[in-house]
Amino acid sequence: MTANPEHHIDIGALQDLKEIMESEFETLINTFVLDSSNKLDELAVAIAGRDADSLRKIAHSLKGSSSNICAGALSELARQLEFMGKEGTTDGAAAILAQLKVEFDVVRGILEKSL
Amino acid sequence: MINGTSSIAPLEEPQEQLRILIADDNDSDRLILQTIVRKEGHTVYTARDGQEAIDIFRQESPDIVLLDALMPNVDGFEAARTIKQLAGDNLVPIIFLTSLRDATSLADCLAAGGLDFLSKPYNRIILQAKIKAFASMRRLHETVQRQRDEISLHNDRLIHEQEVAKQVFDNIAHPGCIDAPNIKYLLSPMAVFNGDLVLASRKPSGGMFVFLGDFTGHGLPAAIGAMPVSEIFYGMAQKGFSLQDVLREINKKLKRILPVGVFCCACMVDLSFRKRSAEIWVGGLPDVLVYRKNSREVECLPSRHLPLGVVDNDRFKTETTVIPLELGDRIFLWSDGIIEASNDQGEMFGEERVRQVIARTENQDQIFSAIEAAVEKHAGRGEQDDDYTMVEVSMVNEEDVGEYFAERGKSFLAGGPKDWSMTYELRPQTLREFNPLPLITHLLMEVPGLRPHSGKIYTILSELYSNALEHGVLGLKSDLKASADGFARYYMERTQKLSDLYEGAVKFLIDHHPVQDGGVLTIVVEDTGPGFDFQAKESAEHKTEGYSGRGIPLIRTMCRSVRYLPPGNKVEVVFDWHVDV
Repeated sequence: MTANPEHHIDIGALQDLKEIMESEFETLINTFVLDSSNKLDELAVAIAGRDADSLRKIAHSLKGSSSNICAGALSELARQLEFMGKEGTTDGAAAILAQLKVEFDVVRGILEKSL
Repeated sequence: MINGTSSIAPLEEPQEQLRILIADDNDSDRLILQTIVRKEGHTVYTARDGQEAIDIFRQESPDIVLLDALMPNVDGFEAARTIKQLAGDNLVPIIFLTSLRDATSLADCLAAGGLDFLSKPYNRIILQAKIKAFASMRRLHETVQRQRDEISLHNDRLIHEQEVAKQVFDNIAHPGCIDAPNIKYLLSPMAVFNGDLVLASRKPSGGMFVFLGDFTGHGLPAAIGAMPVSEIFYGMAQKGFSLQDVLREINKKLKRILPVGVFCCACMVDLSFRKRSAEIWVGGLPDVLVYRKNSREVECLPSRHLPLGVVDNDRFKTETTVIPLELGDRIFLWSDGIIEASNDQGEMFGEERVRQVIARTENQDQIFSAIEAAVEKHAGRGEQDDDYTMVEVSMVNEEDVGEYFAERGKSFLAGGPKDWSMTYELRPQTLREFNPLPLITHLLMEVPGLRPHSGKIYTILSELYSNALEHGVLGLKSDLKASADGFARYYMERTQKLSDLYEGAVKFLIDHHPVQDGGVLTIVVEDTGPGFDFQAKESAEHKTEGYSGRGIPLIRTMCRSVRYLPPGNKVEVVFDWHVDV
């Protein structure tokens, strides 16, 4: 885990988002965390079943939502998985998924702290 | 966020409240977007997949749709296509929400009917700007649509008005004798809205007037002038007015009612079957062509006058050209549509081509259709959009065009003045400027029993009057008219002498008295001329040939008696009429 949260989340942008969302911010964070946890499980299933198309779709969705929540590094890892899915392969996806899980835990920590 | 509030009112118009549909399967993304949009003051509907988006669209018909491309069940592309179909003519801006970057995917979005993209992560400023831009695009589209509907409504109304106007016009401009066997004409059904007009009427004297008019302009303004023209034409033709009288009246009327710059190029022909001649006036139309049957030569009568409705009557000229015609000779009148019909190189059909067509057409009866075909071939147009107007008038025997009846089928002949007499003396100034025949005819037609005979009575009156005036008062020699050349000279001399006339008179003595089931009309016409050796003339009459001399023998066939009284400057005609019981 990196000490500097800026490596995981654009704190300024997140602050803006918080101001826009006002009371909805907490709901947003909870929704994101819950939704993303589900997606990590779904990704594991897709990789285990060598289902490249599902890998692409789930990763695509996660890429979008994590970019919206200002989590650039997480979004980038999801993009790599999406790319693999698009190429029709799940080879090597498990390793990236492992990195992604670590990254997600860090992001989650920062987000929950920001509430 | 720092400048979130401002005390200075922005110059922008107040934010328009829109109803916006957001469809995204990702809960957190949807939450962010809907919060931003709602904060802008818009009403938000949300959907989790394409099918929901379609259902909500159907129910709420929102103003703008924000659509995620990749969604479960029905995806964004398919939803966009369905929504566009549902929207029909209305513009519903669809903006794709996507983090897709590759060109093919973006092209798919556009192909499905998307107008723009919004990429993740969402940027509030860009989102705002896009919503605003598409809202104004939508308003613009609505305005265009409303204007289109208004234009189409307006157009429908215009067409309806034209139809009504045409019906009114057709009622006024009844066909007259345009379908007479000696007339061929080409005129599109809606020609009145091209400003083209063809009128033809028999005259009480048995002759025929033919009129071709071409108004400047198009549409209703061009059509409006046609109505008074045809009303004057038919009204005056039936009452026996001369070509000059009719033209003066039309000119006066048009000058008064038409705005400056609107006028009527015209040509009028007075065809006399008995005299075998035509009197022609052309103002502003292409040259009138006269085709001679025997020589196959073509003579050309150019326009010598301004169009009708341009100058006041005191400057309006009614000089005509009088030409003798043989049986089968043809006169061609046209609007400039024929002569100026252009091919795709912009080359006009032109009079030279007309002459060529005439020259190479073997069968003379086919000249008219040959010209028509040649013009259409030259211009390469179908019959639908033509504005060609063309008339051919042929010289025929009067019997071939049928007898003239002013009021056919009137059986009620009782009443009216039956027992009276009058004297009517016309002195030089009146002779110079006034045609007394319409007035006298009008008086005589007050006797109901005379009405079915108006043609004969007019013929009698006009023959007696022109003899008294031309031979008696003006001293013109009728044998001049024996040749084509002299014929023209005769009419020139007539005009000259008439304008120099300062003494002399023509006197009508008219008497009508009733008899059992009818009446007797006696017309005496006396002139101040020296008279002539009528006995010698009468014995020679049956031998008279050429362009003149048909008058008196014809009158003899119409009435009980024609008598010259010494010294030959006085003639008496007695006309009987009976009601067939």
